[in-house]
Amino acid sequence: MAYIFRESLGLSKKKFFRAPQWELKLAVRILIGFLALYFLVAFLFLGIGLFFILRKEFPEQDPVSIVNQWIIFYFGADILARYFLQNPPVTDVKALLILPIPKERIIRGVLLRSLSSIFNWFSVLLLLPFCIVLSIENGVTFSVWSWFFAMLLLTGTNNFLGFLINKNKNVAIGTLLFLAGGYVLEYYMKVPVISSIGIGFEALYIEPLWITVILMFFLAVLKLTAIFLKKELYLDKGLSKKKEKIIGSNLFFLDRLGPLGGLLKNDIRLIIRNIRARQVVLATVFFLFYGLIFFTQEIYLERPGILIFAGIFITGGFTITFGQYIPAWDSEYYSMLMSQNLNYKKYLKSKLYLLMFSVVISMVLSLPYLYFGKKVMVLIIGCGIFNFGLGALISLFSGAYNATPLKLNVKAKAFENTKGFNLTQFIFAIPKLVLPVLVFYIPYFFLGFNAGIMGLITSGLGGFIFRNQILGWIEKIYQLKKYETLAAFNKQKI
Amino acid sequence: MIKTYSLTKEYGGEKVLNLSELEIPKGELFGLIGNNGAGKTTFFSLLLDLIEATSGTVEINNIMVHQSEAWKPFISAFIDESYLIGYLTVEEYFYFLGSLRGKTQVEVDSWIKAYEPFFNGEILNQKKYLRDFSKGNQKKVGIVGALIGQPEVIVLDEPFANLDPTTQIRLKSLIKEEAMNNGTTFLISSHDLTHVTEVCDRIVLLDKGTVLKDIKKTSSTLKELEQYFSN
Repeated sequence: MAYIFRESLGLSKKKFFRAPQWELKLAVRILIGFLALYFLVAFLFLGIGLFFILRKEFPEQDPVSIVNQWIIFYFGADILARYFLQNPPVTDVKALLILPIPKERIIRGVLLRSLSSIFNWFSVLLLLPFCIVLSIENGVTFSVWSWFFAMLLLTGTNNFLGFLINKNKNVAIGTLLFLAGGYVLEYYMKVPVISSIGIGFEALYIEPLWITVILMFFLAVLKLTAIFLKKELYLDKGLSKKKEKIIGSNLFFLDRLGPLGGLLKNDIRLIIRNIRARQVVLATVFFLFYGLIFFTQEIYLERPGILIFAGIFITGGFTITFGQYIPAWDSEYYSMLMSQNLNYKKYLKSKLYLLMFSVVISMVLSLPYLYFGKKVMVLIIGCGIFNFGLGALISLFSGAYNATPLKLNVKAKAFENTKGFNLTQFIFAIPKLVLPVLVFYIPYFFLGFNAGIMGLITSGLGGFIFRNQILGWIEKIYQLKKYETLAAFNKQKI
Repeated sequence: MIKTYSLTKEYGGEKVLNLSELEIPKGELFGLIGNNGAGKTTFFSLLLDLIEATSGTVEINNIMVHQSEAWKPFISAFIDESYLIGYLTVEEYFYFLGSLRGKTQVEVDSWIKAYEPFFNGEILNQKKYLRDFSKGNQKKVGIVGALIGQPEVIVLDEPFANLDPTTQIRLKSLIKEEAMNNGTTFLISSHDLTHVTEVCDRIVLLDKGTVLKDIKKTSSTLKELEQYFSN
């Protein structure tokens, strides 16, 4: 097992250093590393501080009992996070199947490897310092530490449950409904659902012997997972690709646009039929709600310079999230596009129309923000016009420098949403966000709010009127970068 | 139709292709053979302007491929599976290629009927995405996709590989028919000497990037080539 582990580590090292633009990727990896480190440290400090916070807020109650009341939400969130972000390391065992290794050992390896997942570390980092502080302050007790181990066992159980519920959205929805329903029942209708569960956790703390039940539960899930994996360890079962249902076949309304319609149809299908693209577009939906953070707070309403950010994110979420991966979305078949009867201009134009169209949709969907007043709505419309005319073009422009290929139908892993992301993109994000603020702020500073909005609208309209000239200029950059982009995109196939 | 002038390609100082002059006239069935690393795919990539030549030029219909995109209407290619769009169905893929060449869906639908024997009932109306097809069936789709819109030149890299025997035989007659009926120029690379000598009327043998043989096919060509490769 150790050999297999070492070997696969060596392979992933090679894969990393031999990938296109690996220097940039390394920089991003370091950034992501810091981010993960930040989360780990944050959890660590939360773990240390939790005891003191609880003692200060609820001096008459035992800190562990308070944690017990709420910990079901932690485990529920854990299951949901695993559902969305954790990929059980099952798919890379194909090569091991025909080697003289017993299946039990392969499964043991898979299960063992899954325990190193970052999700499990969160529990340790949160609860270990909490229990240490508790022992220092209140003295070491057997019940605290048996409670701690029970929690670790439950985390492990969640980890293995992740295999059993993988890709089953009913379980995820059920968990969410249970938590939300439990919360509503408990705190609005006084039906003790959450607190009953809390009593169960409390029992673990008061009577350490109950840990045997948790241990048995853990072992049962472990056994079930092993049995499940053994059954799935065939090419036509768990290791097979699921047959997908065809969606989005009826897009005849785009036929009138000729070749441009053909390209737009592809892009729409790309978005709805590929996991990676769907994930990115889902992020756009969250951007739509970005305004709720700013528009609900008095301090921000006085400072329209900051509100511009909200407006740009609301109307330009798609141009930012989807736009930054143009042309990487087409990286899997870029050679074909480049040798077919399709010139760059037409290709870029179709992408521009898609981005512009997305801005219009976002503007329509942002109409409920009218609730926050006419001024907010005017601001959003101003930002929308800016994104429509100019923001979309800037996204296309920055794409010319993004030559990292993208695997379309593969989920991005937790903390690894970086494929196709590179530092250049990071740098380009600055003008995308700073430019509209400047365009607004300079006239605003001298002439007031309306002048600022006019600044946004005129620059947007300017971009729209001169879009063909600007597109021609962007096209030249794409032409110049063509061989480099192709070479990078073709590398992923090897 | 296609001309190259002192075309070379180097990677890190090593010449992988060195073609002094090569002319492929319209309607020719041009076969390219050679062992791995001979430069076949490099030549095709230069032809399609997918890589940059170290020196020299390629012209298609008197248009230099690296200077303008005006050659694109004349040529189409199927090099490997990356020429397919994995998330489309076969029909959608064909419609897309059709739209790039000014064909409506109805036109593509009626055009495709002629290729049903070649598909052998495994391709059309399958209700699954191209990425879920087997390699052989993907190849069938790619080859027929390259024919859409009757381009004047069609480039096929290893078209016989991965195909079942029946389809190999059907492909040979399909290429001959296309060339006869439409005057299509075919550029075909292959490791299968029997197939390539049967289909093509001119064979160019590459070795380490240079032309070793450039022969019109005769009845003794296959023997001659087999002789060469067995040494």
